[in-house]
Amino acid sequence: MIAVWKREMQSYFYTPVGYVFMGVFLTLSSVIFFLQIMSQRSSDLLTFIGNMSYLWMLLCPVLTMRLLAEERQKATDQLLFTSPVSIIGVVLGKYLAAITLTLITVALTLVYVLVVMLYGQVFAGELLCGYLGFVLQGFAFIAVDLFVSGLCRAPVTAAILAFGLNFALWMMDLLVSAVPAQLGRALSFLSLYSRNEPFLMGQLSYASILYDVAVIIIFLASAICTLDARRYRGKGA
Amino acid sequence: MIELRDVSKRYGTVEALRDVSFTAPDKHIIGLLGINGAGKSTALNVLTGYFPPTSGQVLVGGVDMLRDPRACKRQIGYLPEKPPLYDEMTVRDYLRFACELKDVKRASVSAHVDEIIGLTGLKEVRGRVIGHLSKGYRQRVGFAQALCGSPETLVLDEPTVGLDPRQVSEIRTLMQQLSLEHTIIFSSHMLSEIQQMCDRVVILHRGRVVREADLADLTDTDGRTHLRVSIAMDESQLLPALKGLPFVRRVRQHTSALPHVTEVTLDCDADGAGRGDPRVQLFRLLAGLDAPILHLAQERDSLEDVFLRVTSGEEAAAV
Repeated sequence: MIAVWKREMQSYFYTPVGYVFMGVFLTLSSVIFFLQIMSQRSSDLLTFIGNMSYLWMLLCPVLTMRLLAEERQKATDQLLFTSPVSIIGVVLGKYLAAITLTLITVALTLVYVLVVMLYGQVFAGELLCGYLGFVLQGFAFIAVDLFVSGLCRAPVTAAILAFGLNFALWMMDLLVSAVPAQLGRALSFLSLYSRNEPFLMGQLSYASILYDVAVIIIFLASAICTLDARRYRGKGA
Repeated sequence: MIELRDVSKRYGTVEALRDVSFTAPDKHIIGLLGINGAGKSTALNVLTGYFPPTSGQVLVGGVDMLRDPRACKRQIGYLPEKPPLYDEMTVRDYLRFACELKDVKRASVSAHVDEIIGLTGLKEVRGRVIGHLSKGYRQRVGFAQALCGSPETLVLDEPTVGLDPRQVSEIRTLMQQLSLEHTIIFSSHMLSEIQQMCDRVVILHRGRVVREADLADLTDTDGRTHLRVSIAMDESQLLPALKGLPFVRRVRQHTSALPHVTEVTLDCDADGAGRGDPRVQLFRLLAGLDAPILHLAQERDSLEDVFLRVTSGEEAAAV
């Protein structure tokens, strides 16, 4: 698992993927920071984090598209799945690499917090809650998109499908008010965005943490099962 | 030692392997021979644990692959038909990664990689990005990857396909060198390669093993013998007489460089249809016809003869 994690980390920086992800994320987040904080002379970092969370929908597919689809496309999965590393180890190694890069990127956004601290007031507790929700939401999106990558043979297909799925998850929020109440409640219950709202109000919501962790576990397990099922069908993993 | 016991593999409704059993003894080179689609790659993929068999067992050193895949896979180095290379990595980084995958101790990874680089002749390109390498070097890197972790068995799927003659020769030399310390199982549809390299041959046809034998036994006369003979007589008189011999199964005529000389190969029963040495019977026939024998040689079955017989003749139809 550690070998896979190391290789994926190297690969992010041997190829443009890591730079594109970090570059676009930081550029767009700085635009949001300028519009939300600087131009309005606000110190409302939670709203800023809430707006940054839409970047997951856009950028997580970039991070995950290659992870499993390219292995299948280039038949490099033959190296992985004939080595002593288990499928679980392979999937977890790749997932950990994606979340490591995400954490590095998120850590760089702390510069914005420093800027606000220089000119305004920052409440550490609510900021930590905001960041916790933001990071967990990102981890959940990565798990969903990694699963999609495991379904596809080409990275581009994986990226388009993952973006479509992320977009659908966001649309669920918009549909809540347009559908019957019961269905709306169900959609709201399942929405990764609605689930993040308590954190954006500075609340440490165990239910939301549990939900995010459950999404991560379910989609990683699904990715593992997909690969294993493909092996049994004899199409390689 | 690797053993396949009654291994079958289905792709949906297609049965790619049917009750395949064979054994690869230690420090032997085993050739897996078959036409395209015979099931060679499937057999190797099952053998290496890339995918599990639908039924049957793969035993590596007596351990079942399904029971302890980690221990079994540690003993196998696999070079698939298309080497599994990451184009963006350098040769050295790639081999380090392969070593880490195969549980090589961290402290000895560098020395192990250097040793493999030396063995496979990759010194010149060790710092280069794999995507920039020629096909020959890419194949060598794939080979080097299979050696990581010092596995007891190397499984190579058509290791020389697509290479130029010089690269083919280099890869074969490397395989012979490695066979001193490793068991090698490799697939090919090149008869000459199998004949040159292998101690033991497994011929697959339509997903079944139709022959498994040591190369020497396989090309043994197998109850038949072949007599190549040059006779100073026109073929119009000679051929009907030869075809009339009870022990002759087939007469193959060759082009003769000399006038009034007929050159043929007679595929015969080794026991002369129960009447003794076919050479003696042939001599008597030709003496009676006043047809002098200019040359007579007894030939063994070639691998090609055996292969064609088991993949296109009656034996293949029985599969």
